[in-house]
Amino acid sequence: MIILKKKILIIDYKSGNLFSVNQALTNIGLNVFISSNANDILSADAIVLPGVGAFGDAMKNLHNLNLVKPIEQAVESGKPFLGICLGLQLLFTESEEFGYTKGLDLVKGKVRRFNINNIAGESRKIPQIAWNKINKINNNTWDNTPLQDIKDGEFMYFVHSFYVDPEEQVGLSETDYDGQIYVSSIQKNNIFACQFHPEKSAQKGLQIYKTWASINNLI
Amino acid sequence: MKTIRIIPRLDIKGPNLVKGIHLEGLRVLGKPEDFARYYYENGADELFFQDTVASLYDRNSLRDIITKTAKEIFIPLTVGGGLRTIDDIRNVLRAGADKVAINTAAIKNPQFIREASLKFGSSTIVVAIEAIKGIDGKYFAFTDNGREYSGLEVVSWARKAEELGAGEIVITSVDKEGTGEGYDIELIRFISEAVSIPVIAHGGASSPADVVQAIQFGKADAVAIASILHYSVMQTFGGISSDYKLEGNITFLNSGKIPKKISPSSLKEIRAILINAEIPTRI
Amino acid sequence: MKQENLEAYYGLPQKVKFCSRCVTSNQRPTSAVEFKHTKDSKKNTMHLDEHGVCDACRNADAKEAIDWVKREEELFKLLDKHRSNDGSYDCLVPGSGGKDSAFQAHVLKYKYGMHPLTCTWPPILYTDYGYKNFKNWVDSGFDNISFNRNGKTMKLLTKLSIENLFHPFQTFILGQKNLAPKIASQYGISLIFYGENEAEYGNPIADNATSLRDKSYYSYKNLNEIFLGGVSIRELKEKYKVPINDLLSFLPADAKELEKSDIQVHYLGYYLKWTPQEVYYYAVENTGFHARPFRTQGTYSKYNSIDDKIDDLHYYTTFIKFGIGRATYDASQEIRNKHLTREDGVALVKKFDGEFPDRYFNEIMEYLEIDSNFFRNELTDKFRSPHLWVKKEGEWRLRHNIMGTGVDD
Repeated sequence: MIILKKKILIIDYKSGNLFSVNQALTNIGLNVFISSNANDILSADAIVLPGVGAFGDAMKNLHNLNLVKPIEQAVESGKPFLGICLGLQLLFTESEEFGYTKGLDLVKGKVRRFNINNIAGESRKIPQIAWNKINKINNNTWDNTPLQDIKDGEFMYFVHSFYVDPEEQVGLSETDYDGQIYVSSIQKNNIFACQFHPEKSAQKGLQIYKTWASINNLI
Repeated sequence: MKTIRIIPRLDIKGPNLVKGIHLEGLRVLGKPEDFARYYYENGADELFFQDTVASLYDRNSLRDIITKTAKEIFIPLTVGGGLRTIDDIRNVLRAGADKVAINTAAIKNPQFIREASLKFGSSTIVVAIEAIKGIDGKYFAFTDNGREYSGLEVVSWARKAEELGAGEIVITSVDKEGTGEGYDIELIRFISEAVSIPVIAHGGASSPADVVQAIQFGKADAVAIASILHYSVMQTFGGISSDYKLEGNITFLNSGKIPKKISPSSLKEIRAILINAEIPTRI
Repeated sequence: MKQENLEAYYGLPQKVKFCSRCVTSNQRPTSAVEFKHTKDSKKNTMHLDEHGVCDACRNADAKEAIDWVKREEELFKLLDKHRSNDGSYDCLVPGSGGKDSAFQAHVLKYKYGMHPLTCTWPPILYTDYGYKNFKNWVDSGFDNISFNRNGKTMKLLTKLSIENLFHPFQTFILGQKNLAPKIASQYGISLIFYGENEAEYGNPIADNATSLRDKSYYSYKNLNEIFLGGVSIRELKEKYKVPINDLLSFLPADAKELEKSDIQVHYLGYYLKWTPQEVYYYAVENTGFHARPFRTQGTYSKYNSIDDKIDDLHYYTTFIKFGIGRATYDASQEIRNKHLTREDGVALVKKFDGEFPDRYFNEIMEYLEIDSNFFRNELTDKFRSPHLWVKKEGEWRLRHNIMGTGVDD
């Protein structure tokens, strides 16, 4: 019996560098391909939504490429869905960027900009470009999530000016940037999405992808 | 929590890792891929590759090493040197870089910053400033690997770059670079306090203590380090035997010498000193 | 017009050829005896062998085969013979605190335990960073005699050398070469050390066999042999009213006097493997040397010969007279030392060779009282050899260049 490898689709919607995500997922042994075609989304076994850049432009691209419906369907179908950085933010209801821009609304909540001043009143450097700790939220458990093999307080690589503020209980980890505590990854049913970049977070980052893949039987 | 990033900076000419002083001189220290791998395995936060002679030849030729690195190294990679057009940037990103550093092209046409940041995202665009102190104590930005006077005063240029959409600034003191005389703390502070985007300090570290200074007094958000790291690797491995037939003068490599003012330090050593000084950093 | 029918000035080879390894050409003059230099002088030029490889590149090859341990032993023997045991000066290092003399003096004193006196024939017009390098050099631990020559005469001779020979640097070269033996004689020092042997740059290879500098470079047998600025001593006296006394500092030592003394001139580059780039690093590390804070016009480099404003102009004149500029000189040297590939060199020549050094030009013209326009047009054009230059569409262009894009290429 021939066991076909599961197909992991990275959605290409012209927002940001697909190369590193592709590189990382391939490196851990997944069968990865890249496309902006709705049919490919339907036929894939798992979906990855990466992204870097402006929320508004990204949503525009998703609409123009007719990807909004396919993404909604993919999520509804229960397929494993991985969102990275902008790919996390787009799932939400709306973003503060450039007045309110509507998102995919697959997770209730807003996307907010980091305050330009920290608690001490000093100017905050934006974007956050740094390694930062991801922590459990109120001692929640990470079992059966892609973070299960990661220790509480592990460092991951962040680069962002906006963060998500969920109105549902989906927060998996939280992070403190210069005094601002925000949700740095979420899990909602078949969706796992993180603000940080596992593909840029060295071996521990790759571990998250590995765990995500094995939990979802993609490997 | 605000962590500081430690970024090994590799100046690359052709197939070789080189290290100059005042951005001049092409002393060969070894093969960049060996150093890059070593730094990744020893906890570097990011890597910075500079094609050190690119502006002289009007081209960036790091494609091969970028691709090689991106395949095995899963931390952010910034690439600079001779990037003149949107296509140049796109090619380098496609080859596997995560960020690009632009200097000469940005000064010649500041709108290039805006164009590039709109196209690729602000956080992808790092504006590199090479500063030389003038007679009156003001700092001026230079282009073409520290060679051509632009007339731009660095603080106002940094502010303009931020306005135009740069995601980060890397500030190099050409006067201190490679000398092991310590960072130009004043210069770093001027820039850090002038912009609200992250600032990477570069040029002059002689020991981990200097790195602490750059952060505590210079208010840098990250440090790009070359000499103390590279010479530490050389001390550990000696002149790694490799192929220099194509190009590269290996007189220095084979001499086993270390420049007097440089205290070779490993990434681990630097991090330990930062932690000691209560500077948050990735452990 | 056929190449063979084109006149070649200065006795330069009719056909222009480029070295197959570095980027220099067969038009490059090898070191001359400056005080015999007149406008009718025929130049000795760089020799290219049957493979098209120049002598300087061959010399670089030979350098690799040398037993440097043995050479250093020779140096030890020589120094042991001359090292003073009462702290008095036992050797003389001429220079101005540039990377070369900085290295020479420092290594002789601090590595080999000698007691050098340094002597300087100052630049015609000091750059401020060049002067700072000089001061830092002296401050790093050396006694220094700077000979401040008669400025009036120097101005005149420099002006004449430009007008007659298109050679702004002649007075400096004269002074630099001639000062050391005189100072050595005065202070009773019998050992003078220069840096690189000129064979590195293409003087006949035989020149390199011993480390001694050919005495003909710095002595003369009688006054009638001497021309300064291309003008004979007699004419200087009669036409320009410059008495012999005012010319003394530009004159070389008397050959008879020199033969009587036991002064020896050596190249450190004979005993120690000389890599100019490593010398730069050494100078920065040890004597406070600082590269130029901007690119040198006409080339890509920042640390070679940066203390005299006239130097930049000098290389411009080599571009006019011989078709090769400063980038060619710098790149050729760096190719030989394996820092650059030939391809790199060609790109650099393409980008920088022949760039007009306007930064200090007006200042120099004012100082020498030469009309800028006259210099840039009439005078410059006078020295363009027809076998190298041709005017096309109102612009002067080289007939041949290393990129192969010359008018006749």
